[in-house]
Amino acid sequence: MSEIELLWTEKYRPRTLDEVVNHSEIVARLKKFVSDKNMPHMLFAGPPGTGKTTMAHCLAHDLYGDNYRQYILELNASDESGIGVIRGKVKEFARTRVVGNVPFKIILLDEADNMTADAQQALRRLMELYTASTRFILIANYPSKIIEPIQSRTAVFRFTPLKREDVVERLKYICSNEKVKCHEDALNTIFELSEGDMRRAINILQASVALGEATVENVYKVVGLAHPREVREMIQLALSGNFAEARNKLRTLMITYGLSGVDIVKQIHKEIFSSDIKIPDEIKIVIADLVGEIQFRLVEGADDEIQLSALLARLALIGKKFKPG
Amino acid sequence: MSSALPWIIKYRPRTIEDVVNQENAKNAFLNWLENWDKPGQKKAALLHGPAGCGKTSLVEAVAGSKGYQLFEMNASDFRRKSDIENIAKIAAQTSGLTSKRKIILLDEVDGINARADEGGIEAIIELINASKNPIVMTANNPFSKNLFPLRQNVLEIPMKRLSETHVVTALKKICGAEKIECSDEGLREIAMRSEGDLRSAINDLQAIAETYGKVTLDLVKSLATYRDRQYAPYEALQRLFNAKYVFQAKDALTSTDLDYDELFLWLNEHIPTYYEDPEEVARAYEALSRADVYYGRIKRRAQWDLLSYMYDMMGPGVAFARKVYKYRFKPFKAPSRKKQLSETKRSREVREALAEHLATRLLTSKATVKAEVIPYLQVIFKYNPRYAARIAKGYSLSEEHINWLAGSKSLEVIGYLKKGERAREKGRGG
Repeated sequence: MSEIELLWTEKYRPRTLDEVVNHSEIVARLKKFVSDKNMPHMLFAGPPGTGKTTMAHCLAHDLYGDNYRQYILELNASDESGIGVIRGKVKEFARTRVVGNVPFKIILLDEADNMTADAQQALRRLMELYTASTRFILIANYPSKIIEPIQSRTAVFRFTPLKREDVVERLKYICSNEKVKCHEDALNTIFELSEGDMRRAINILQASVALGEATVENVYKVVGLAHPREVREMIQLALSGNFAEARNKLRTLMITYGLSGVDIVKQIHKEIFSSDIKIPDEIKIVIADLVGEIQFRLVEGADDEIQLSALLARLALIGKKFKPG
Repeated sequence: MSSALPWIIKYRPRTIEDVVNQENAKNAFLNWLENWDKPGQKKAALLHGPAGCGKTSLVEAVAGSKGYQLFEMNASDFRRKSDIENIAKIAAQTSGLTSKRKIILLDEVDGINARADEGGIEAIIELINASKNPIVMTANNPFSKNLFPLRQNVLEIPMKRLSETHVVTALKKICGAEKIECSDEGLREIAMRSEGDLRSAINDLQAIAETYGKVTLDLVKSLATYRDRQYAPYEALQRLFNAKYVFQAKDALTSTDLDYDELFLWLNEHIPTYYEDPEEVARAYEALSRADVYYGRIKRRAQWDLLSYMYDMMGPGVAFARKVYKYRFKPFKAPSRKKQLSETKRSREVREALAEHLATRLLTSKATVKAEVIPYLQVIFKYNPRYAARIAKGYSLSEEHINWLAGSKSLEVIGYLKKGERAREKGRGG
């Protein structure tokens, strides 16, 4: 038994375009860029865990070789503190020229759809300014949140959620490589719970194996442990009229579990329609509308706790009306 | 009678002697100014005290008497980069033999809003460290949390509320200079209502004197309004939730020196304590959440015009969420979010550091690591310590990371980790 272990998402990440098993049309086009040693600015768009960032790294690897990371600047819009910081880093990076036969360097901007429209305008100017020496690869979950001037300046590649056979195949490959026994039905369950997100699928697999073996039972156990039921309990508390307790749960979720307001809102949306939440369906639709409004407000920069407290207060009111008896 | 100049400007103290009733502050300030560049002295001073007690006037008077050139800047301008650079340029110059010595005055530093003027306080600290000239700041409330990082860099000089007698004396002087007939009772009434705020007293005096050409007790009683005083947060809440009219609810909000963020914090805490009926709670939160939406728009798009709508929602909006009016009294209770946040600060910092540590390795953002990686790592660390130890090794996790991930199982994980290291050393030795 080796002494060091990695997360399997890292261990089994494709390193070259040849190793990428799906998205064959995208791979084919990118390989053409590699042989031409030329490429346009690009936008990789698609849901989480579909291989966008990995594909960008594979492309860079094939262009520059094993030491490719010195030729790319990796930025994450949700981690950088503003367009000013990004501008500074891009300027610094673009200043030095590439050695070797590829005439440009790559700037990889992940989660670009988290940038405000204003910041994207500034980004657009940066892209024009440094076109001679750099190429941008923008990565986004929602291409609609990328402003049109940028979309029109980039080649857009759409990444679709992974298909069942792709995910299950990959999981099987990992199992055989790790020499662990994996039940076929467990792998299918993992696919269903991961919703086509390869990162999540592999993480669930690894944690299930850590529990002993990848069985359906362990898969559910892992997902239950990793995604606490606090959200449902919070909804139940609010609907039973206990606003104060519901808000305490809300704080626990935000502070102890570190969930963002948007994370929580999305989970509330999922939970509302569960059959455990005993309110009439037509009211659930009203709540869904409320939840959507709150999510929009949060994305627009409103305060997590105040908006979610307002939602819980509404739930408490609704719950009072529909209390059995 | 000329009304060209407001009297508060016309009758500003010109000399140190003109500054009344602040002997301790005067001495402390003069002593600091003479010695500010000696080793061991603080490079900046912070004059603090209630509004209208003469903080800015003291600095101006000292500058006038002692021949300093005064460069004044309202600290809220610290959000503008060009202004910072201008003042920094002046601060960096040493005064030559021929030029006047300089004082740099940053007025109302407690007006800096930690969120809206991000970096403002840091800019001031930088300025203090680089300055070759004395820097003086003024503040009403030196305990404002925004000023906390400043306080260790400055000499604090407290100034006290002026006594009624001193306010009356100052008003009398002005009456004499303007040749206005002022009754003693009238001036005393103004002084009493001013609560030691000379600026507001002079403003009241001017308003009455310019309208009627004289000041009598009756005129004062009918004309001078009580100025808004700063109330403690809980008093302000009490007034808000008991407001009968829109204006009272708005006044309640502006009567504290809480900044916007803190107002939200206090209201968020107290809506469920003041209201019990679910409908009242829901309506109050509806209003508060609308106020928060406006606040977000204000911050994101610098639409400060929207501020009044934010106040409408968070003041009257919250106050009139009640179904029936009744007197509501709740004991003082500070917002618990702050407390909770400070109690869990270390833990959140560890999670943040861990997310950052892993993000580069996993080619993703901290947010994704927190949402999609750490939950599974926690499962592994809590249920399979031996396996966890190997992962800890693979990512060079610190003991603090391991404690955070594994909770009660952390000793086991660390045990396996150390066993692995010993085995390796042995292997190397043999």
